[in-house]
Amino acid sequence: MADLVFLAMMVLTVGSAIVALEADEIIYGAIGLAGSLFGVAALFFLLNAPYVAVFQIAVYIGAVAVLILFTVMLVRQEKWAKEVPPKSAARLAGIITGLAVTVVLTFAVLASNLSQFTNVANSATFVDIGALISTGDSAILLVLALVLAASVVGALTLSKVEREEKNQ
Amino acid sequence: MSKPITTFEDFIKRILIVIFWVALLSIVVIVPVYYLLDSVFHFPVDLFALATVKPDQFLAWQLSLLQTEPYRTLFALTVFPGFSFVAVYGTIFMGWVERKFTAKIQLRTGPMNAGKVEGILQNIADFFKLAFKELVIPEGVDKATFLAVPIALMAVAGGLISLVPLSPTTYIANPSVGAVLIFAILGFTPLVTLMAGWASNSKYPFLGGLRALHQLVAFEIPMILSLVGVVLLAGALNLAPLSPGGASIVTAQSTIWFIVPQFLGAVVFYCCSLAELERIPFDIPEADSELVAGWQTEYTSMPFGVFQLANFSRMYIMAGLFTTFFLGGWLGPAPVPPEIWFIAKLTIVMIMLMLPRSIMPRLRIDMLIRKGWTMLLMVSFVNLFIAMLLISLGVV
Repeated sequence: MADLVFLAMMVLTVGSAIVALEADEIIYGAIGLAGSLFGVAALFFLLNAPYVAVFQIAVYIGAVAVLILFTVMLVRQEKWAKEVPPKSAARLAGIITGLAVTVVLTFAVLASNLSQFTNVANSATFVDIGALISTGDSAILLVLALVLAASVVGALTLSKVEREEKNQ
Repeated sequence: MSKPITTFEDFIKRILIVIFWVALLSIVVIVPVYYLLDSVFHFPVDLFALATVKPDQFLAWQLSLLQTEPYRTLFALTVFPGFSFVAVYGTIFMGWVERKFTAKIQLRTGPMNAGKVEGILQNIADFFKLAFKELVIPEGVDKATFLAVPIALMAVAGGLISLVPLSPTTYIANPSVGAVLIFAILGFTPLVTLMAGWASNSKYPFLGGLRALHQLVAFEIPMILSLVGVVLLAGALNLAPLSPGGASIVTAQSTIWFIVPQFLGAVVFYCCSLAELERIPFDIPEADSELVAGWQTEYTSMPFGVFQLANFSRMYIMAGLFTTFFLGGWLGPAPVPPEIWFIAKLTIVMIMLMLPRSIMPRLRIDMLIRKGWTMLLMVSFVNLFIAMLLISLGVV
């Protein structure tokens, strides 16, 4: 059963990624991206990492994909639909590069001892994760929080400055 | 009987009616009565000896099947507490309740004619009307996306239905990250509404879709924050116990319901539920008088019916989540089964969600966004600090 779900999610992830890149209609590309991200989230679920999966869905589909779709719809222009496809030589080079990266990564995984990794029976509970973050890695958490706070304040300031300029 | 038989058609019709009733009664009445008498008098000849399965044995066999695994899950998914229960109770019955309730508040009668009592069959009649209406697909719509949207919205609702626990054992799924998973699934709704608005290729649905996006995103954050306090007090993310006697959000409320220490959180969650459901006073994406029906404008026939089903299912879910997080879920005095307690509380919350529709005007979009991003966010932060204070003082 898990194997079947894994295969289905593989097909969904790779298939939607291809749609995201190749679709003529840019809206379909955005939907394909959402589908691909959903497939990745499902893979995280299968890997017994529900937190990562849940935040993958909440952040990437709930925020990033929606933002992309929203932007595309707001600044939509018909000429995008008839955009000239890249030259076949460039496309061939892209495919070859992609395949080469895949092959190298596959060999790297096979050479490591990941295949001997046994299944962990219990995934970490959120209490464990919380304890880990707030004790050992609290410095990193604080720095991240400060960076996020600074960027939010910066964004607010920038938008405010622009509005004031407009008013004058 | 009524009118005399004059034509051959009437004659055949009458005979078929008699055969139908005899066949129905023989299954429903005669066979059970025969078995009842047989158990008392022990007839020497078994009249139904030719039947391979006896009705009583068949019933016992079916009940035993429901205890075994694949059938138990299938039953939970399709019948109770899954799709059929939500469709019949949450949509058809509560839809009728809403119509009657709104009508009574406004001193109208509401539906009266379908069904003997107070037009109780009105929504079933409406379902058949929708099912047999013509499906109009306007010119220029993106057909695949247009038809996929109702199904996607129902899929979002179905994913959430599976997370609402009706008792310690009556649920479809009880993941260890339940409280977070709810928001992950709710995150799909703006995507779906935006797709509906775009695929319809018409200005009203598009404006409705954009408004829905703004509204849903603005109210998602306060909604999540309003529940952080509950999760802190409960010390768990799972809604029902993972193992018998284990910690969960509902069992943590056995001493006091979280609506008392987390009253502000409950208010924020209630407001955000109204916004999430696009109900008055937050029905800006639909706005009958401005946008026809918002992002649902171009839908007719059964796709529109599916929208209704999904909207009422989402109302059932929001009421169910409110009950689970703030009203102690299935907890209640013993002789009444936990499911009944849950459904009773859920019904009250659903009626509370229906109430603003008849007594409040609609907000303007900028007022709504300001309310979502400032007021509700502030209140939910205050609520979070109250929860932290209660924990650090050791009250809860």
